[in-house]
Amino acid sequence: MSDPVITRLAGLPAAEPDIIRSDHIRRRCHAHLARHTRRSPITSRLTKAERLAPVWQSLIAVLGLGYLTQAIRFALDVYGLT
Amino acid sequence: MLVGRLRQGEAEAFDQIYAVFNKPLFTFLIRLARHRDVAEDLHEETWLRLVKHADRLHADTRLGPWLFTVARNLYVSYRRSRALEDSAAAGLIGLWPFGPRETSPFEKTAANELERRIERALAHLPAASREVLLLVGISGLDQSEVADICGITPAALRQRLHRAREMLAQALDRDAVAPSVLEGVPSCPTR
Repeated sequence: MSDPVITRLAGLPAAEPDIIRSDHIRRRCHAHLARHTRRSPITSRLTKAERLAPVWQSLIAVLGLGYLTQAIRFALDVYGLT
Repeated sequence: MLVGRLRQGEAEAFDQIYAVFNKPLFTFLIRLARHRDVAEDLHEETWLRLVKHADRLHADTRLGPWLFTVARNLYVSYRRSRALEDSAAAGLIGLWPFGPRETSPFEKTAANELERRIERALAHLPAASREVLLLVGISGLDQSEVADICGITPAALRQRLHRAREMLAQALDRDAVAPSVLEGVPSCPTR
């Protein structure tokens, strides 16, 4: 970036996280990942939308089928075929 | 790719992400919070949030902006809770361990005078100005990502960044003319 103020900021030294604390964070995160993977090996790979997809897809299919059945019944009634 | 592996709970994927973002995230937090203890707590919480929410990440999630957003939001929450505590116990503020006039070890030992001046000037800015300067100048994120992180429009970010740059430049000028103006302002306690 050409802005001198931003360039100066970018040139500041990075802060060093404490090594022991960084390792502690890493181990906590690993433990959490391992726990979570053991608990739900399949569902953990799916997002909420992906998990809910079969539910709403089935719901739409049922509603569509119901609507179609009613439409056919109505048509048969209109033509006196029932 | 990396997000997908993290969603599957791969520790190696986490380590790769950690190696890339650990230092920039900590640098951002310590310069924003200006207290090592606070920055360390927020830093740890940010990484824990990542693994807790790993299974809900989308495959196209950009981890840099995601992590900086969480870190920034945690800092905002921390500031809010501190503001409540401060208003409830204004008389006890002198006893609080994170006193505003604390001088950091960094300030005592920093070798580079210019760096020290920038640190002091940065610490002197309001948090909203400091965060945009840090996100744009230090985190390496582009401006649209920074706008998303701060929850503002790109136009508002440009305006805020412009103001923050001017404030920082003025603070640096003041410090150059009269270094005592910013004396006592805590700076980044890097190691």
